[in-house]
Amino acid sequence: MDRRYFIKQSAVVSLGGLLIPSTFLSSCRKDTLFEDVNFGGKVLIIGAGAAGLYAGYILKSKGIDFEILEASANYGGRLGKLTGFADFPIDTGAQWLHGKNNILGDLIAKSQTKIKTDNSDELFWFNNQIVSSLPKDITSIFAREENVPDVSFKDYAIQEGYGSEYTNIVEGIAGDSGAAASRISAYGKVKEEENWVSGDDDFKFQGTFFDLIDQQIASQVKNNLKLNTIVANIDYSHSSIEVTDTNNNVYTADKIIVTVPITILKSNSIQFVPALTSEKTTAFSKIGMDAGMKVFLKFSNKFFDQNIIGGEICGAYADESIGKTGSDNILLAFIMGQQAEYLTGLGSDLAITNALLQELDLMYNGQATASFLASHVQNWTTNPFVQGAYSYSTVGMGDARNIAAQTIDKKLYFAGEAMNTNGHHQTLHGAVETGYNAVRNLLNDVKK
Amino acid sequence: MKAKIFYYLLTCLLAINSSAQEWKADISYKYMYSNQLDNIIQTYNFSRPLLTEKQPLLMNGLNASVSRIFKNEKHWKYGINLSYSFIRSAAENQNFNNTLQLHFVNLGYIFHYENAEKCKGLYSELIFSATASGLFRKLNDEPFEYDDAKSKSFGIGGEIQCKAGYNLKLKNKFYLSPFISFACTPYLYAPNNEAVINQTKGLASAKWTSVLSTQVGLVIHRR
Repeated sequence: MDRRYFIKQSAVVSLGGLLIPSTFLSSCRKDTLFEDVNFGGKVLIIGAGAAGLYAGYILKSKGIDFEILEASANYGGRLGKLTGFADFPIDTGAQWLHGKNNILGDLIAKSQTKIKTDNSDELFWFNNQIVSSLPKDITSIFAREENVPDVSFKDYAIQEGYGSEYTNIVEGIAGDSGAAASRISAYGKVKEEENWVSGDDDFKFQGTFFDLIDQQIASQVKNNLKLNTIVANIDYSHSSIEVTDTNNNVYTADKIIVTVPITILKSNSIQFVPALTSEKTTAFSKIGMDAGMKVFLKFSNKFFDQNIIGGEICGAYADESIGKTGSDNILLAFIMGQQAEYLTGLGSDLAITNALLQELDLMYNGQATASFLASHVQNWTTNPFVQGAYSYSTVGMGDARNIAAQTIDKKLYFAGEAMNTNGHHQTLHGAVETGYNAVRNLLNDVKK
Repeated sequence: MKAKIFYYLLTCLLAINSSAQEWKADISYKYMYSNQLDNIIQTYNFSRPLLTEKQPLLMNGLNASVSRIFKNEKHWKYGINLSYSFIRSAAENQNFNNTLQLHFVNLGYIFHYENAEKCKGLYSELIFSATASGLFRKLNDEPFEYDDAKSKSFGIGGEIQCKAGYNLKLKNKFYLSPFISFACTPYLYAPNNEAVINQTKGLASAKWTSVLSTQVGLVIHRR
């Protein structure tokens, strides 16, 4: 046999032997999930927050019939936009993108949305003065990843030898997680964030976070959205699920994706038939979600610093104009947990504003009241369809989030930031992840 | 930098014992299958309807390796093998060109069997290797970075590879061998693959992956 001929033949046979099965195998390997799944049923999504909107977006991309029922008059859930108050738009709800290694980071890159890293300086209100550093670094104990006990932030700080002078600092740190320091678990926070991969940098939008979700996601599903529809009852005892709203309108569907905040599930505002198991309701009750509000204070001059942690009335103040292209002096009071409960108890926006001005006057020698122009109070606690800020890990919470997020009878699927079991709870991108994951689970069940 | 290290190692391998009896260098096409990596990319594509061009699965790549035989018995030869594979997946969307680059480096021990009395020219090899993998992401032709660091995932595991080829004498001591091989990495610990591709952890895969691959290529063999 001629050598040249043999080499040629060997190459052809070898390549053929490999490429033919490779091509065959490649054709079996699909680029995306559920390319072959045909689901002719209808899906009802309860809640038009980020999770619900995104679940709808995924269903639409798969050509599946769906409808989103939203209790309030607006979509977006804990997102909101305030215009006209300042010469730049303001997010009244979620406003920071926490890390950009996440699905919303991709959406931002794709849509060329302008964001900016928030590198603002952090100062502390400590022993009645503003300081750039604390006598003992307390933030590091909450950054530990090992040997953290399942006790509250407050008790953990005491165990680590921090005295009462650090109480408000700890409250401010807990407030960043949307919780009272006496309720959030130091261990639970570390444990639940083991899978956090989003990144540590925070970003602010030149526009608003609301705009991103509105333009990129909500715009895709607006035609399937029904506002002012308060769901009162979900009867999943039959193959066809019946959802009844407070006006006794009945909607039928084959699958339901429940995306309401954990506070709504805890409050039994929605009746399930048959009733949810005690394991499920106990899991709901173990997931924390405290009061939360944002107050925007407008001043004639900028007397305040970029960030002040440790106020007795407000745990964290932040310069709202950072990352924006306006010139108005807006200070955000970010109030969570017991501080939000206290301020809510004052009963009026005016009383809340006055309490904050009083504290700022103490910090800045009366400059707050002297230059005060206007305020806007966004109290998420008194919003009947939200009733709080965002979920957090309570002491002794254990596996509650996993149990809460579990599907029921291949009919009820749960989504929303509180149902994120991959470390991204408390965040908007975490809510979006649960939205697509609920559809993924739903289609997996259909496939089976 | 990584390429320099690879070339350095390659040079070292060839330079050890300049009077070495045998060395081999090969280049091949590689077809890879990993259920876990497939699932992560499928989840990525499923969750991002905004991307009209889907991210292709990681499956087609190139492999290059060098081997040195240092022990020669009647039908058996033994040696070491250093190989490098590169598999790429790219999807171009408006303002969003996403590229995944998966690298494997293997260092293994070769069991080479050749029986000229029965089948002249035919040989088979079994290679047990330690495997290291590196997965990187590029966005719009730039390494994707967050927190001032590149998005990356490293893995470690072991591979077993079966190889068969046919030696064709060229001239002097040189041979050319077409070959085909099958390899299995039953356990590759790469906990951050999902974080690089789908930007989640624990949602689409476990912390490890298994990889099957097949290769076809040519070996230059010096005896």
